[in-house]
Amino acid sequence: MGSNIKSAVLEKLMKAAAGLANSSLQDFKDKGGKVIGYFCPFIPEELFIAGGFLPFRMRGTGSQNTNLADAYFDTLNCCFVRHTFNQLLAGKYSFLDGLVIGTGCDHLRRIFDNAKHAAHETDFIYLLDHPRTMGTPEMNGEPMITYYRSQLAGLKEKMENHFNVEITAPRLKNAIKLCNETRRLQKRLYELRKADNPPINGMETAAIMMAGASMPKEEYNENLKTLLGELEKAPASGRKYSARLMVVGVAIEDPCFYSVIEENGGVVVTDDLCFGARTVQSVVDEKTADPLRAIAKYQVLDVPFCPKINGAHVRRVSFIKEMTAQFKVDGVIAQGYVACDPWGTSFALLKESLKEAGIPFLRVDRDYLPSQSGQLSTRVQAFIETIGGRI
Amino acid sequence: MNGAKNDASVDAYTQLKTDFAAITAKSFQARLNEFVENKTPIIACTDDFFPELFTAMELPFYFSVRQGLEGAFHTGKGPEAVDGYSELGGSSSLCSLQKAAAYLLVKGKLPKPAAIVMTSTSCDAQTAVNELMSNYKPWAAVPRVSVDASFEKDEASMAYLGRQWMDCIPFIEKATGRKFDLDRLKEVCEESNKQCGLMFDFQELRRAVPSPVRADWGFIAYMTGRWAACGRPEATEWLQRLYDVTAQRVKDGLGIEGVKEKIRYAWFDILPCWSDKLFPRLEQAFGAVNLMDLYGYNAPWPVIDTSSLESIFTSFAKRFLIGNPMTRQIFSLSSVYGNDAVHIARNFKCDAMIMPSHVGHKDGAASHRVVKDMFRQIGVPFLVLGCDVFDERYMSPDVVFDKISTFFETAGLTGR
Repeated sequence: MGSNIKSAVLEKLMKAAAGLANSSLQDFKDKGGKVIGYFCPFIPEELFIAGGFLPFRMRGTGSQNTNLADAYFDTLNCCFVRHTFNQLLAGKYSFLDGLVIGTGCDHLRRIFDNAKHAAHETDFIYLLDHPRTMGTPEMNGEPMITYYRSQLAGLKEKMENHFNVEITAPRLKNAIKLCNETRRLQKRLYELRKADNPPINGMETAAIMMAGASMPKEEYNENLKTLLGELEKAPASGRKYSARLMVVGVAIEDPCFYSVIEENGGVVVTDDLCFGARTVQSVVDEKTADPLRAIAKYQVLDVPFCPKINGAHVRRVSFIKEMTAQFKVDGVIAQGYVACDPWGTSFALLKESLKEAGIPFLRVDRDYLPSQSGQLSTRVQAFIETIGGRI
Repeated sequence: MNGAKNDASVDAYTQLKTDFAAITAKSFQARLNEFVENKTPIIACTDDFFPELFTAMELPFYFSVRQGLEGAFHTGKGPEAVDGYSELGGSSSLCSLQKAAAYLLVKGKLPKPAAIVMTSTSCDAQTAVNELMSNYKPWAAVPRVSVDASFEKDEASMAYLGRQWMDCIPFIEKATGRKFDLDRLKEVCEESNKQCGLMFDFQELRRAVPSPVRADWGFIAYMTGRWAACGRPEATEWLQRLYDVTAQRVKDGLGIEGVKEKIRYAWFDILPCWSDKLFPRLEQAFGAVNLMDLYGYNAPWPVIDTSSLESIFTSFAKRFLIGNPMTRQIFSLSSVYGNDAVHIARNFKCDAMIMPSHVGHKDGAASHRVVKDMFRQIGVPFLVLGCDVFDERYMSPDVVFDKISTFFETAGLTGR
């Protein structure tokens, strides 16, 4: 059910997403490069890249249990947090030289406390205070930008002192350009999925997006350019899908989730995920004299937000509706972890909003590990059949 | 509630209870129905950020979780509200108090406000309820403002939050037609400073052995000074009397009536709505006295600097994020939570620390290892429960009693 091209680049990117330490990351390390792990897209990769670091988006890929993390986190806590922390404790992140955690949610934030307490391999552990309220240009936008800029400056200074590097404005501007190029390329990838028969499916797209936060950016951009060239020339597959779907909710790191949907006749054409469509909607100002401020402005005003951000529901609904129109979506699948109060509450609101808009909606509460894939398959199948009846 | 049979303070505490009820009856919260009937503008907040401002403006306000507490759990309708919320399809893991607040909201049982003031604190559940309140259709036309709270607690971060709250004044004036008077706010703040000072001083008396009062007096003091009559002289007078009568008990070496104090422990979370099914049993079975709960603990409170409007609001930010119980512990590092617990254990001479670990407190659930290791270092036995302090169906008071009994026994605290 994958793409209809044979591509070495696609294979490479999918491999990078399937594990933690990939070959590109290892090459970077072998050349003396340093890697900083980070949680949440609110933490700007530009800052790390400008310091010569490789930013690695933290995930629990490969985790089978939470035996080690259970000494720190309760079963009431988010399973993503527990599995990722377990990988950290298990030494799967031995390639990290630093770790930056955001103040986004009650669960994630505690990784900072527990990582400090556990004193794992990395000794640079930083908690970045980022906004938890949606900024609007006419109300609180300016003070929020100023505040967030000051927090970014604090992180920058800490990194400079700890790693003995200089993160200058020109370097930051180059990093902005590089990350913007990634955003534009990824946006092109999303655009391809507007086709009646998308040349690439949801599982592959998710892996490509994940690889983008797991390997050196320059290399990734070159790979993605090659892949886009291949995909844009690829002949239409002629495959028929029963339903074009959008997934929303928590980050999906498990390819099985997409497989279940796509093996049941659906195709995921877009999403509202923190390392998915949300990151490619706009770019950071490249012409600015104050790159830190430009990054802060981008994060405060320009990106669609997850429900950890207070007051963003209306904007989220509007984004989802816009995506469903642009990508000719037949239905929305909302998936989240049981312990996630912001998404759980948001789903209740979303259900109503999308019902009014006539957009079919399925809510799935899931665990980090794909243990419930049978149940998920049954529900997705029923949902697709329902939508199929509408088409 | 307190005092030996021949002790004059028995009458004093009885009077304090009566007066607390009278003060509470005059509070904004108790008179919400009256305000709705006579169309007095009401502000809905998502927490009690700056009760001083509302006292100064004589502007009724309420905050969502307190509605869950007083509108559902204190009226015996908590379980119904919790189940009702679940049927609405919200987050199943949400704190039961927040579930109750959300249920009251969507069922139209919260007074329609003239304006909504939200701040991105203190927990995910609160943010979730903020979102429900913000998108509640019958209130679609109600003006609202969302303020971003800093997680950092340095001076600049406090000024950041304070400035945003200060900017809410014209918004509140416009929405309610009430006029803001800085001099009046200063008066209220000065009174509030006295109250917080008395709450702290009262707390310090409770270091005495035997404990002069039960933990619930700490929560009652909090409710008087912060919830019922913040910045009003009657609360100051009440808190002064509470301090005086308790100081006398300490001087007289009096403990809790009918209890031979053998085990001193703290319950470091919100006092449960089912307290009466637990604490008296522990007193009778083990002579175990609960010295402190989360809301009875004063950190102490940052003093409000009344030199300017800006300094007042920066102080409000400090009060809320550094002083206010629960916000202080959950919207901060695990070490703050742990250090407070250790401070109580050491200075209030606790034989044991009980972390109820209310199921809604996800940040707390992720802090146990850090806190437990701190307690291991000071050698004070430490128990994590994982109960629901509002909804006793999650873990019954009997089960909680059994767990604590076993804990006391295994820690060697019984039979002393």
